[in-house]
This record gives sequence, C-alpha cells and structure tokens, in this order.
Amino acid sequence: MAARESPLLLAGRIAAAGGFQLIFTLRCRILRRTIPGIETDVKKLVFLLCCATGVMAQTGEIRNPRTSPEDVAAGAMIFRSHCAQCHGIHGEGGRGANLAVGIFYHGSSDADLLRNISEGIPGTEMPGTFFSDNQVWQVISFVRSLSERAVETRVAGKPAAGEPLFRGKGGCAQCHKVNGEGGRLGPDLSNIGSSRSVKHLREALEKPDSEVLPAFWRVSVTDRNGKSYSGFRLNEDTYSIQILDMEERLHSFSKKDLQSLKIEKTSVMPSYATVFSDRQLGDLLAYLSSLRRKARTQ
Amino acid sequence: MRRLALTLWILAAAPLTGQQVTYERLLNADREPANWMTYSGTYRGWRYSPLDQIKRENVQKLKLKWVYQMSAQDVGTTHQVNATHTVETTPLVVDGIMYFSEPPSNAVAVDVKTGRPFWRYRRSLPRKINVCCGQVNRGVAVSGDRVYIGTVDAHLVALDAKTGAVLWDVEVADYRTGHSITVAPLAVKDMIITGISGGEYGIRGFLDAYDAATGKRKWRFWTIPGPGEPGNETWEGDSWKPGGGPTWVTGSFDPEQNLIIWGTGNPSPDWNGDVRKGDNLYSDCAIALDADTGKLKWHFQFVPHDVHDWDATQVPVLVDEEWEGQPRKLVYWAHRNAFFYVLDRKTGKFLLGKPFAKQTWAERLDENGRPVRLPNTEPSAEGTLVWPGVQGGTNWYSPSYNPLTRLFYLSAWENVGLYRKGEAVYSPGNRYIGSVPEIDLPEDPGWGAVRALNPKTGEKVWDYKLHTKPWAGVLSTAGKLVFGGSDEGYFFALDAESGKELWRVNLGGRIRSSAITFLQEGRQVVAIASGSAIFTFELPD
Repeated sequence: MAARESPLLLAGRIAAAGGFQLIFTLRCRILRRTIPGIETDVKKLVFLLCCATGVMAQTGEIRNPRTSPEDVAAGAMIFRSHCAQCHGIHGEGGRGANLAVGIFYHGSSDADLLRNISEGIPGTEMPGTFFSDNQVWQVISFVRSLSERAVETRVAGKPAAGEPLFRGKGGCAQCHKVNGEGGRLGPDLSNIGSSRSVKHLREALEKPDSEVLPAFWRVSVTDRNGKSYSGFRLNEDTYSIQILDMEERLHSFSKKDLQSLKIEKTSVMPSYATVFSDRQLGDLLAYLSSLRRKARTQ
Repeated sequence: MRRLALTLWILAAAPLTGQQVTYERLLNADREPANWMTYSGTYRGWRYSPLDQIKRENVQKLKLKWVYQMSAQDVGTTHQVNATHTVETTPLVVDGIMYFSEPPSNAVAVDVKTGRPFWRYRRSLPRKINVCCGQVNRGVAVSGDRVYIGTVDAHLVALDAKTGAVLWDVEVADYRTGHSITVAPLAVKDMIITGISGGEYGIRGFLDAYDAATGKRKWRFWTIPGPGEPGNETWEGDSWKPGGGPTWVTGSFDPEQNLIIWGTGNPSPDWNGDVRKGDNLYSDCAIALDADTGKLKWHFQFVPHDVHDWDATQVPVLVDEEWEGQPRKLVYWAHRNAFFYVLDRKTGKFLLGKPFAKQTWAERLDENGRPVRLPNTEPSAEGTLVWPGVQGGTNWYSPSYNPLTRLFYLSAWENVGLYRKGEAVYSPGNRYIGSVPEIDLPEDPGWGAVRALNPKTGEKVWDYKLHTKPWAGVLSTAGKLVFGGSDEGYFFALDAESGKELWRVNLGGRIRSSAITFLQEGRQVVAIASGSAIFTFELPD
C-alpha cells in the first residue's frame, strides 16, 4: 500500500510544494477511486499532476461530497459503534474530545477531519480507521450535524447582555474565573463554550446537581481533634483525601485520622432557573457559549 | 581457602557467562527462584515465589533499589515512549539480566544490579494500528539465548539476548484487519506460543506455535472452528468468520499431560449477539491443546453466547490437590464473569463454580457449569444495568496461588455496567462491537479489592479494600506476603494469611502490571511497573 502511494506523494511534493500537498493527496485519493481506467502509475502520475494544478487553481478547499440526510444517518451508525466509546453517544466527549460544539482543535476543515479520522492524530489516543473515504465523509456529516444543532440554540441571546449578568446579578464571578478574573472555587469558564454545548450549559444553570464533576463534590470531615472542615473533593484515594475548603485553603487528610468523612455529590452552585427571566438566561447562555479559545490550525 | 574462593567465584560467575535458557530450566523454574523466567514465574501459572528473605517481619524496611524510566530513554529524539500507552509488562529475570517490554512493542535488557540498559530493541510501526484498548504489551519470552516479543502490528520477533539484534521477524497476521499482539509469548520445548488480539475488530482468533529457531509456524489452533469442524455448528451462518475468540493473555502448560491450557476471549461483535446465534465455541473458553500438535484435547466454555465481553483471558492456575478425598489435577480460574471455577485438568470437567464478586446475570451454574441466566440481562438499546460491569469481576491481570497458605489471590472489582446494544456491521480493520458501550458509570464507579479465596470452596477469606478498581495483578511469596498495586499508584505488601497491610509506597504512576521477585547477588528483589517505569525494591544491608 505504501509503495503504491509513494509516486503520488512524490508528485504532490513536486506539483504542490507549499501548503497544498495534503489537499492534493486527499483529492487524488478520491479521484483515483471515482475515475476508472487509470491503471498504471505513470498514467496516474500524469493525470494527477493535472488534477493537482486544478486543485491549486481553485480555492484549495475540499468539500464533503456526502452530506444528504441519508449520509448523516449512515454516519451516525458508524459513529455510534466506532467513535462513541471515547467521544460519547452524542459527541459530548469523554475520554475523547467533545465534538458537538463545532470546533476541532486539530483542524476544522473537511480536509482536516477526513485526515484525522482516516489517519488518526499523532501524539494522541485518536487512532486511524480503515473506513472508505465515503464512509468517513458520512461520519463527518454526522459530526457536523451535532454542532449545527448547538448553533441554533446559541443564537437565542446576546453575549454582550449576558456578561453584566455574569458579573452582576448572577454573582457568577465570585466563584468562576474568566480569562484570569474571578474567584477560584468553581471551574474556570474561560473556554467553556468550546467544551460544553448550550444544552449542557443550560442544564448546569437550571439543575446544577444533575452532573457534578468529582473535583467539585462536597466534602465534610472532622479530624481527630473534633475540628470540622468542608470543601471540594480535589482528589481521593484509598488512604487519603485532598480538599479545597470554602476559605480557599488546601488540606490533605489521612482517612485513618478522621472521625468522620462525608461526601455529597451535589453542587454548591444555586439553581438559576428562577433567578433570571428566560431572556436573561438566554443572554447568559449566549455569553457563556461565546467563551472560546481560537481553534488551532494545522 | 583459595580453591574455595575460586570455586565460589566460578559458581557466582556461572550465571553471567551466558547459560542458555533450556526447556529443562523452564520446566524446573521453581527450583531456580533466583530467576523469573516465564510470564507467571513457572508453567503452572501461580505467580508465586519460594523466596522468603522478604517476609512479614521485615517487609516494612523495603527500600528503593533502582528505577528504569521508559520515557526518559528517548529524550531529545522523536521516538519518545508515548505516555498514552499503558505499561502492562511483566519483566523476566535470567542470570542477572532483566528483560521486559515497553509499549507499544519495544524490548529492553537491563542489568538487575544497576538498572542500566544493555540494549534496547525499538520497533518501527505503521502509523495506523488499531488495538481496542491501547497499544500495550504484557512482556517477552526467553528461550535459549533469545528474547521473543509480539508486536502491535501482529508480528513475532526473535532477538539476540546479548545484543537485541533481530534474528527473525514473522508476520503472525495482518494488522490491517484488526489483528495485534499484546500477549507475552510462552516458550514451550523448542516452540514459542503466541496468542492474538482483535476481539473488538472481528478477527477469527487462534493460538500459534512457532519454531523458536527459525520462526516457522508449527501449528495453529483456530479458536473459531471452520465449516466441517466440531463447534462450527454453534455459529449461525457465516457469523463464525469474524467471530473473535482472541487469546491475549499468556496461558499455562502442564508438562505431565503435555497440555497447553489457555483462555479465549469474547465472541465478536461483543455486545450484539443477534448476528451470531448459538453458543459461539470456542469463545470465552478454557482450551487444552496437545503441545506438539495444537490439537484440542478438551474445552470448557464459561459463558456460552457471551453478550457482555466477559473474556476468559485469565491466567489458568494449575494445582494438584485433593478433591473430594482423591488426589486430582485441577485448574483454578477466577473469570471475568465474577465466578470462581475449579475444573478437572485431565478432562475439563466442571467441579465448582461460585461468585467471588457481585453478579446479577446468572441465577446459578448447572451441574455442568453452564450458567442459568436471569432474564433481562442482555444488552438493550436503552441500556441494561448488570453486575459485573464490562471490565468484569476481574480481568487479565494475574492471580496468584500460594502453596503455603493454600489460598487463591486476585484483584477483584465490585462494579456495575450499563450494557447497550448497537449496530453490528463488519468491515475489515474497523471496530466490530455491536454497541455503544458505557464502560464506567461516573455516578457509580464501584470499588476494588485484593481478595483471598479458599479454592476448595470459592469462599472469600479476606479482603483488602481499595477506593478504586485495581488493574494490577498479585504476587505471593513464601515470605507469606501478597504484593499488589492500584490505579492510584500505590504498591503494597499484605499478610498472605490475614490480608493486613504491612507496607505501602506511593510510586506516583498507575500500576497496571503484575509484580515479580528474584535474587540479585543472593538478595531478594521485588519489581513492578508503575506509570512508565520499572521500580525495584530490596531490604537494606
């Protein structure tokens, strides 16, 4: 396989020195499968040199050719059995990245996604696959459909109106940092729009106890002298527990030295379902969703 | 006096002059506790050492001897060991040299005195490698003056034990169809036995024997029988072709009966059994093969028509023991399905089965050991909660049997899984699991323990509870100690009789391997992999 593809890569280097080699190679993979009768490597080389020029003459962009609803459905099926184990059934992330927000750190273009799903991402746990390009395109259509749904929700409010609510009425900044400003008891929200869907953010605001990360579980302990502490469960193992108390002090306790240890998997954050009007909640969500770091390009 | 000194020098030096690891030595490995020459220590699969210098009275004094950092070996190069690859290796020690693997498929020889490397074999791999659960390797085999390693691109490689030079390199299977090798090979006679991984990719599993000298394949036992072979009728239609049944954990060998006893993994696809109706032999089985021909002598299927991914990929523990008043050849087997089994080693006959961890899938085992399933325990589209979870009541990490306490030790999990059924469409080299699995339930992560069982009854004798579920195996010794580890990074020693913790150290890296012990210049050393390093411990002077 590698030997057969090497002339193509060589041609790519000659014809498309600069940024086009990858696009060229991918384009050639597609064309080679769809145009019959190109049998020999020499013929391939000549033809593909021409096709490379064609790609360069255009905008240099590869477009997903499989975007029909049937393709999305077929992609969903592959995604469920092949990708969901790490990326979650709804692309919400887990061991793998959240794919439901439309931002992909290793490249967001169709060509980036085709490459990363087909070949894997070096230095990460993302493996390559042996699916046909058509199947990968279907997966891409499905993955894009996840964030398209998220986009619809996002436009419901105004980020500029949400920020004052975050800092004022909501009191959110007392516990949450955004770009270096704010408290430290809650999660840093500087990039929360990249890692959480709008749906997820809404649920967190309205029902904060529905999902609490273990590092934010509430711990109450009493030490051997009868002194009590309460705070967040930063870490726990068989023998010890580490907490950040409500006065922002770090403690580490040996479990055998404790008179009592209680862990509640609930959030200290209040529900905002009744604090804000629907419109205000929409603005706050729009603000939170706008908190994103720039995508990395390759 | 001088002659005595000379004799002692010769005796002491003899191991370093490059003795061959003969079949005789491997056969009698229990008489050479200074070395650890096969995956489980001996062919019996006990992971037990008769060494007793380190014992209950002095284990508290253990101190660090040396550390070998895998990721440090390539600093400044582009080949750094990838931290995403878990270290699962069991080191071997032969005559002052430790041989072990680094993930994905490297092999190293180091001096046991200093931890300094003699050589390192670094395998170049194709970019696209599909291994279900990480590019791991569980160790090497040693035979003659050679070291053998299986690779994640499904090759078996023979290396010169002195230099690491490649002597032969054979393709066991095509990695592009989801085959890989993660198992430590087993040297038996003049053969190297290797299993295969790929139960999540719809491979057709097998166990292979290769000529240790040439790399020529001597036999192959297909764990999924083809048309016309007994057992093929337990597969509907062509479902046997991508039927799974991998062999990814090192088995045991019974020289008296010339039987290789090995475990097989799940049928493919894992969680959707609709496309493979029938018992699906020989998936989830203990298989006993004639060592010279690879012919099946007996089998016992723990989970007919498995739909929970409960591989029988555990180390078979071979014990000769009285059973109902008669001396009998037995196999002890703590299975991923949360039952502990005792089988007759001559026939595979079921003698005992008892749950060692919480299970909600079987009402009981019948007189032949076949589970009588409870209703509503199959995976479903919306998900079905079943104990044990998908990683089982135990898994591949080694158990141990100690002939002094006559107890069976294992790392056990108490956990639930949400089993979902999904589409099952096979395409070569891609995942074929028939599910959207939920491996861990964040709200109910479960817990773990190092557990001692009475193998005569399957009853629990003691528990050493852990906050998290351990992926580390156990080692027991004549010092009446059990060594274990945790995902939290702790390595610890327990009283083999009571389970009481006697010593513990935080190594700072997940322990997903099983410990060994050996002698270095007459002094007992214990070794374990943690994070991406090998740690060794000994008593102070």
